[in-house]
Amino acid sequence: MRTRTRVVLSIVMPSAILAATAMPSAGQLGRPGGLAGVDGSERAAATKAGPIPRRPDGHPDVTGTFNGSPGGVTHTVILEDHPGGFGVLAGHTLIIDPADGIIPYQPWALEERNRRRDDANGYEDQVGHCEFYDVGRIHSFTQEYRFSGNNFVINANQHITRIVPMDRKEHLPPGIRLWLGDPIGHWEGDTLVVDSTNFNDKTRMSLGGDFHGADAHIVERFQMLDANTIKWTMTIDNPKVFTRPWTMTSPALMKRLQPAADFDVEDTCHEGNVDLVHLKNTYEKAHGPVWPPKDVR
Amino acid sequence: MRVRVLTWLIAAAAVAANLTAQTPAPARRPPDLQGVWRVWNLAKYDLEDHGAKPGVPAGRGFVVDPPDGRIPYRPEALAKREKNFAGTRDADPWKNSDPLVKCYLPGIPRMTYLGWPFQIIQTPDSVTFVYEWSHKKRVIPINSTVQVPKDDTAWMGFARGRYDGNSLVVTLTNFNSYTWFDMAGNYHSDALQVVERYTPINADTLQYEATMTDPKVFTRPWTIRMTVQRQKDIGILDYECTAMLDELGIHHTWPRDFDEEK
Repeated sequence: MRTRTRVVLSIVMPSAILAATAMPSAGQLGRPGGLAGVDGSERAAATKAGPIPRRPDGHPDVTGTFNGSPGGVTHTVILEDHPGGFGVLAGHTLIIDPADGIIPYQPWALEERNRRRDDANGYEDQVGHCEFYDVGRIHSFTQEYRFSGNNFVINANQHITRIVPMDRKEHLPPGIRLWLGDPIGHWEGDTLVVDSTNFNDKTRMSLGGDFHGADAHIVERFQMLDANTIKWTMTIDNPKVFTRPWTMTSPALMKRLQPAADFDVEDTCHEGNVDLVHLKNTYEKAHGPVWPPKDVR
Repeated sequence: MRVRVLTWLIAAAAVAANLTAQTPAPARRPPDLQGVWRVWNLAKYDLEDHGAKPGVPAGRGFVVDPPDGRIPYRPEALAKREKNFAGTRDADPWKNSDPLVKCYLPGIPRMTYLGWPFQIIQTPDSVTFVYEWSHKKRVIPINSTVQVPKDDTAWMGFARGRYDGNSLVVTLTNFNSYTWFDMAGNYHSDALQVVERYTPINADTLQYEATMTDPKVFTRPWTIRMTVQRQKDIGILDYECTAMLDELGIHHTWPRDFDEEK
């Protein structure tokens, strides 16, 4: 079906340049765009927002297709305040706590984030390899929420499916590490809470090198504000990487979209990923033929 | 005495059958296929009967039709299967002929018996297969009225699902010609059509059947059959194939190679 290669790489390639040249410029921040998410194919639902729909068990029915993008690619490179350029729209920080909007890295971790942000190291980013996005980055994408049996299921583009059991009490043993962690869901009043641990350390939260580390404890909250709107927040704690827990949200409130008429989109990012060689060349120019890079803990 | 009991039993059965016939049958519910499943057999190595090869146990094949258990290749198509297999011995993924070694999408039915678990998720209008292998998924619309686009092709085909009695039936068309059926080099062309049938035969077992039709490569349709076991100990985890290449220090910066014969 439709190939995703071009979409991914059109983001990857210029972003490395943007990351190197990004300077805050207040006049550019928050510029509205005309695109409709990474897919470019969805339109906001025409139906009026009514009261929160309920499932038979009384909990909010968050079933549907939602997108938290303000209308364009905004935070693929930098999660904090940044100017626009190279196809990425300017945006205000997604970090709502701490109040300064800056990710509270420990000094070593900030140094490591900045090392990853270097153009020369873009080849290390798993997304250019058509590998998994992290739990934060996928919130720039259109997502489809369903309930199935005891699971809350999140579908997003690329090859992302998160199956969140609502009936499990304990996380997997610490020896099992996963790209999107081990999610467990529960309700707190009208808010669906997804608690994840057991991450591997292979994902980045942005093309600009942000990361949360393998021992992160991540709590997401899906709060339905009305029939067509979900507020999503994600609190990340990892005392090995950050000085304190911090919380981010999606670039905009998640709005209900018309479901796609035919929703199976095959992910063929890796098949014919012909542009990856350019990132490799840049990397090898700086480091020589060294691969894989050292693990970061 | 024994005859009388038997007569009575037959009569009782007849009455029961009659009662059943008079009661309107309730609308049949689709089979519940949800859960984590795994095929754990030798099909990934070779769908046909085979002797041992390096790293491959000898074993029975899975072709139930034709009855001789052989894939009905057209005579001129067999040479390519042999060439395919001969090319699988190269340790360099770039030179290896098996597309799976490059972590390319395995296609259907190969994905089913690759050996990694998959989870089936059902909603009224769809069945989603989430595969542990490379996080791949298929969302199969049930009773879709949307036409499959004529000229578009896909590694995993375009799927349309329906329920037939106690079975989920998935009809797949629009394949490309880049995927194989197994490590033995069994292959198909872009004329392939596949009909999959998933049927629960007890609480923890599905019967899986796939019928392949491809007049460019085969003289007649052929069918494989195997069982799929419920995996109870843990949900699906993950195996990101391309990341494994990274870990081995293998750059997967290959040019696009699958459009032409190598």
